[in-house]
Amino acid sequence: MKIWETGKRGRLFLPGRDAPEAAAEAALECGGFRRDYEEECFAEQEVTCYNCRYRRWTRDSFECMRAEVGK
Amino acid sequence: MKILICIDDTDNLDSIGTGQLLEDMCAEAENLGLAKGGFVTRHQLLIHEDIEYTSHNSSMCCEAETEDLQAVSDFAKEYLASHAAEGSDPGICILRLTEGADHEKLREFGKLAQTVVLKKADAYSVAAMYPGVLSLTEHGGTGDGVIGALAGVGLRLTGSDGRVKGKIRPERENETLTVREFCGKYPVEQVMTEDGELLPEDTELCFTEPTKAVMADGTVTLIAVRDNGRWIPRPHKGKKK
Repeated sequence: MKIWETGKRGRLFLPGRDAPEAAAEAALECGGFRRDYEEECFAEQEVTCYNCRYRRWTRDSFECMRAEVGK
Repeated sequence: MKILICIDDTDNLDSIGTGQLLEDMCAEAENLGLAKGGFVTRHQLLIHEDIEYTSHNSSMCCEAETEDLQAVSDFAKEYLASHAAEGSDPGICILRLTEGADHEKLREFGKLAQTVVLKKADAYSVAAMYPGVLSLTEHGGTGDGVIGALAGVGLRLTGSDGRVKGKIRPERENETLTVREFCGKYPVEQVMTEDGELLPEDTELCFTEPTKAVMADGTVTLIAVRDNGRWIPRPHKGKKK
């Protein structure tokens, strides 16, 4: 199943805000997970895109900005 | 005198967070004998594609006590200008709290910033309604942080918005204590259900997992939920943004 597509600023996570398993799996596959500040981490899993510093929340999901770092 | 300080848009993907920067700023102000800062609250603003936020669009606010508003104000602005991350658009709002003041326009602006896209001009026009007691300034980049900074002050003034920065962790596993004991031991002033009902002081709580306090009725509040017939602090993890 396709979980990413090109977004307006980064890669858009297609499963949305309520897909904890997909977000955890995506973070493990990515290998670039970087935990966000404590006050911004809500997901139960430790390693998940939902808790990653490089996710930028959108209304329905988030965009991964990792590729944008260093540009 | 008491003041509110709120900052926004100070970070980038590699920097410390805005909440940390505010805490560091307050610690430095206290070291210099300028002010004593209180707890920091996080206020969620609108998530919208037309808004330039780094990852979550929230602003950070704290109350502080000072004898010299001008010195604190000068220090805070200088600190922000020199510590905000490269590429950020920092803004800071400082409000002197006076008894009986009408803050309705500020509260309205804060709530508006959670529902519609606002411009800097909107923020400055509201700020102008508070001459002599409110300072709103930008310190680099587009300066759009003034919108969140003013909104954060307004939302803090509502008394019922935002989470208190920092987790509250049980001192030991499955600690059981009454509401009165909990409030005496942890940085919380009252315990409330998710429906907004206060729990009586003799209610027992089983403290199992780290939690966070929120602001409710102008008070640092713990939200408790039922779990297997007992009251527990609402766990921080698993709660949706």
